[in-house]
Amino acid sequence: MAAKKLSKEKVGEVLQELSKFRLITPVKSDDVVLFREIADPKEAFLEYGNSTVPPKKVVFPQTETLFRFTIGNPELREKNVEEEGTTVIFGLRPCDARAMSIVDKLFSWDYEDPYYLKRRELTTLVGMTCVQPPSINCFCTSLQGSPFGKDGLDVLLVDMGDHFLFQPLTEKGARMEETLASYLEDASPGDVERASSMEEEAKGKIVRSIDPQGIAEKLPSLWEDPLWKRVSDACLGCGICTFLCPTCHCFDMQDEVERGEGRRARMWDSCMFCEYTLHASGHNPRPTRKERTRNRISHKYSYYPKRFDVIACVGCGRCISLCPVNIDILEILEQVVEA
Amino acid sequence: MKNPYIPYEAKILEAWYETPGDRCIKTFKVTFADDKVWETWSHRPGQCAMVGIPGVGESMFCISSSPTEKGYLRFSIMKVGKNTTAIHELEAGDTIYVRGPLGNWFPMDEWKGKNVVTIGGGIGQAPLRPVIQYIRDNRDDYGELTVIYGARTSADHCFKDEFQDMMACGDCCCHLAVDVEEENWPHFVGFVPQLLMEVSPSPENTIAVTCGPPIMIKFVLKNLEKLGFTPDQIYTTLENRMKCGIGKCGRCNVGHIYICKDGPVFSYEQIKDIPEAFA
Amino acid sequence: MVDVSKLRETAREIISREDVRELIGYRAGTYGFRARPAFVYDPGEVDQLIFNPACVNNLATYITLEEKLPVPRGQEPDLRKVAVMVKGCDSRALVQQMAENAYERDRILVIGIPCTGVVDMDKVQARFPDVLGPGEISLEGDKFVLIFDGRREEIPKEELLADKCKRCRFPTPLVYDVLLDEEVAPFATDDYSDVEALESRSQDEKWAYWEEKFSRCIRCYSCRNVCPMCYCNDCILDRLRPQWIRRSVDISENTAFHIARAYHLAGRCIQCGECQRVCPVEIPLMELNRKLYKDVEELYDFEPGVKVDAPPLLSSYRPDDPEDFIL
Repeated sequence: MAAKKLSKEKVGEVLQELSKFRLITPVKSDDVVLFREIADPKEAFLEYGNSTVPPKKVVFPQTETLFRFTIGNPELREKNVEEEGTTVIFGLRPCDARAMSIVDKLFSWDYEDPYYLKRRELTTLVGMTCVQPPSINCFCTSLQGSPFGKDGLDVLLVDMGDHFLFQPLTEKGARMEETLASYLEDASPGDVERASSMEEEAKGKIVRSIDPQGIAEKLPSLWEDPLWKRVSDACLGCGICTFLCPTCHCFDMQDEVERGEGRRARMWDSCMFCEYTLHASGHNPRPTRKERTRNRISHKYSYYPKRFDVIACVGCGRCISLCPVNIDILEILEQVVEA
Repeated sequence: MKNPYIPYEAKILEAWYETPGDRCIKTFKVTFADDKVWETWSHRPGQCAMVGIPGVGESMFCISSSPTEKGYLRFSIMKVGKNTTAIHELEAGDTIYVRGPLGNWFPMDEWKGKNVVTIGGGIGQAPLRPVIQYIRDNRDDYGELTVIYGARTSADHCFKDEFQDMMACGDCCCHLAVDVEEENWPHFVGFVPQLLMEVSPSPENTIAVTCGPPIMIKFVLKNLEKLGFTPDQIYTTLENRMKCGIGKCGRCNVGHIYICKDGPVFSYEQIKDIPEAFA
Repeated sequence: MVDVSKLRETAREIISREDVRELIGYRAGTYGFRARPAFVYDPGEVDQLIFNPACVNNLATYITLEEKLPVPRGQEPDLRKVAVMVKGCDSRALVQQMAENAYERDRILVIGIPCTGVVDMDKVQARFPDVLGPGEISLEGDKFVLIFDGRREEIPKEELLADKCKRCRFPTPLVYDVLLDEEVAPFATDDYSDVEALESRSQDEKWAYWEEKFSRCIRCYSCRNVCPMCYCNDCILDRLRPQWIRRSVDISENTAFHIARAYHLAGRCIQCGECQRVCPVEIPLMELNRKLYKDVEELYDFEPGVKVDAPPLLSSYRPDDPEDFIL
C-alpha cells in the first residue's frame, strides 16, 4: 500500500466525507480535549497534544448495555453493537492506538468479548503522529512505542508540516484510502524518507524513560518490600490513573431498573477503589491503598506480560500528569529496579 | 458462539434451607427452562456458574451437584449480600438465571485409582460435594474416600442427610466435627484441622482436597504437610469478588492468575508461592 | 516565606518525639515545578521537606483518609499523634473535622504555615510545558520567581496565583501547635462576584453550562477522595444496598452525584479548592460549593471551619433558623 499525500486544507472535506460514518475526533469541551462523535467537521480539534480521556472509550465505553429485560418477562434482549455502525476515530495518537492493540489480547483471550470485539471490527483508526511530545511525561519509546508508531492503527497520518503523509496500514486502511481517494494525491518524492528522519527527531524529544527489562520478573519478588507503602502513602485512592489509562480495562457489572424496564450494564471500574475487591462477607483481600497500588503496577508490568507477552502500559504519561498527588509510575518503576 | 454474558433462564425445582441464622445457607435445585440447553451443557466437579436475577445482579457460585446427577444443577448459597439475599427470597417454581459453566475443575480423571480425602468447613463443603458425589457414582474408579467436615455447630452443618447416608452406606469414611461441645453430639469436638490430625490419612497414593474459611485452610495446609502430603497432592479452591466470570473484568486476580478463568481449582503447588492467594 | 531550615529543624524535633507516629509535609515532585505530599516516619527523612508556592495539596485530607484496619490480636492500637503541615486554608479543614468530632484534638499535631499564596500549577505548566525540572518556585514581593535549567524567570504574582488565593481571608492557620513564621495578614477579600455571575444566569443558561461540565465527568471520584470533608466511612456513592446513585456514567447520574456531593458539603466546605484542582476534566466544582457557602453565610450567618467549638450547622437546630425557603 503506497503512501499518499493529504493536504491540510483538505482535512475539512475529508472529515465531511467521513461524517457519513460515526465519526469521532478530538474536540474541545471548554479547555478539555476529549474524543466525541461530531456532526460538523468544524468541531474537530486536531491541533492538540493528547486528549485527557483516551479514545479507548469509543470501543470500550465507560458505560454500556449488555442486555435489556422487562421485569416479569423472562426474555433477555441482547444489545446489538452492529447498530452503532461503521465508526472512524480520526486523529488519535499512536500510543492510544497501540493501547487498543494491547487490550485486544485481553478481550479476545479464551472467551471472546462480543461487544468489544464487534466494536473494534466496526472501527477504523486514523492516527496522527506526534511531532512534539504531547506531554513532558511521555515515555512511549521506552515501551516499543513511537510518536510515529503504527501498532493498532489502520492509517497513519504523518504530520509533514503543510500536509499529511497518508499511510494505509491494514485492509481497513486500504478501504479508507479508497473512500478518500478523491482527496488524496500522490506522495511527494522523498516524503517517506523524510518521515523516517522526522520520526527519529520526534523520538529524541521524549525526555522521560524507563528500561522495562527484568521488571516483570522482579516485581513478584518485591511483594513485601517497604517500597509499596512508601509509594502509596500519598495516594488518594481515586480512579484517575486507571480511568485515564488507555490500557486499563477493568469493569463492573450492574443491573439497573426503571419503571419495570431494566438492563444489565457494564461500566469502568478501578482497582484503586476500595470496594473493587470487597467481598460480600466484608473481607477485603486488598484492604489498603498499598495493596491496590502494588496490584496496579504489578498488573501492568508483570501479570499482563506474563499472560499476553506485552506490558500493559504505552507510556502516554496521563497517570503521571493527572495524578493529584504526583504519584509517578516512572519513579515507582525506578524504585523497583533499584530495590 | 453464544454471547458469554447472556445467562440461561432456569426454573427452581426445589429449594430448602441447609442451615439457620442470619447467614443461612439455602440449596436450590434448578433446571433450564429450555430443555435443549442440556444438550450442550456439560460441567465437571469444581466448576462454577453465575447465578442471578435480572434487575438485581448475579454472583459466582460453585455448582454443588456432580455431573452424574442428571437433569438438574444444585447451588448452595449463603445469604451475605445483595444478590444472595434476593436469591434467598426465591422458592420452587420461580425463575432464576444461570451463566456457565465457568472456570476449571478438579482433575477427576487424573485422580482415578487414587485415594481421595476431602476436608471441608462450613459452606466450603459446597465445592467438595460434587467431588464426593462423583466418586460415589464412579466408585470402582477410585480408592478410599475419606470425608472430613466440620462447622461451628451441628445446626451449621450443610448436607446433613447426605453425611448420615455416607456413614450408613459404608462406601466412604465420614468424619464430622463441631467447634464446641454440644449435647448429643456423638462425633469429634474441635476444629477441622485437629480432626484431620485425628483421622491422620496416609499420603500414600492420596489426594487431599480442602475448602473452607481461609483460617481453616491455612491450618489444614500446615497439617497436611505434617502428614507428609506434598503440595502437588493438595487441592483447594480460591474465591474472590467476581463480575464477568470469564477473565475480562479484572478484579478476581491473585497475582497473574484469574480465579474465575484459571481457577477456582488449584493445586497447592500452583499457588503456594503467590502471596495474594491467601490474602 | 517559611525558612526551610527552620521547617526541617522543627520537623526533626517533632518526629523525634515519642508520641508522634508520622509527619505529613511536602517534598519536591518528580517533574517540572511540582511539589507533593511527603510522609516522614524518621528524623533521618526530614531533609526532603520543603515549603514553597508549589505546595498546593491540602494535607488535612490524610488525617481522615487512612484505612483503619483491625488491630491484630495481642497488639495495641497505635494512638500516637500525626503531625501535619497546613496552610491557612488547609487548617480550616482540620477545624471543621474537629468541630464534627472526626477525631480528638490531641490526635494531631499541627504545624502551621502562614501562607502568602500558592500557584495554580496548570498555569505554570501551560507557561513552561517543557520543563522536566526539578524547577523551583518562590515568591519575591509581588513576583513568583521560577528557577529551572539554569534559568530564572520572574512572573507577576497574579498571573500564576491560584484563584482561591485571590480571595483568601485566612492566610494564617486558625489552629496550630507550632507556627513556622510570622502571621500573614489577610491580603484579599471575597466579594462572591463569581457566584453572583452564576446566580444571574437564567435556568436554561445554567443547565446548558452545567450539562456540558457534568457530561465530561468520568466519576473517578478524585473530588471526593481529595476532599478533607469527605471522610464518611461508608459513602453513599459506594453503597449498593440501597444504591442511591447508579454507577453508570451519564448526564443524569453525574448530575445527581455532583448535586448530592455539593449538598453534603453545605456548611462544611472550607473552600480549599482541592476538588476543582484535581478534577482531570476541569469541572468548576468550587462554583457549586461557593454558591452553597454564600447561601449558608447569608441564611445562617455561619462560616464552617473557623471555630472548633462551633456546632456543625446542619446537624444542630436553632429555634430561630430561617425556614421561609421551605415549601
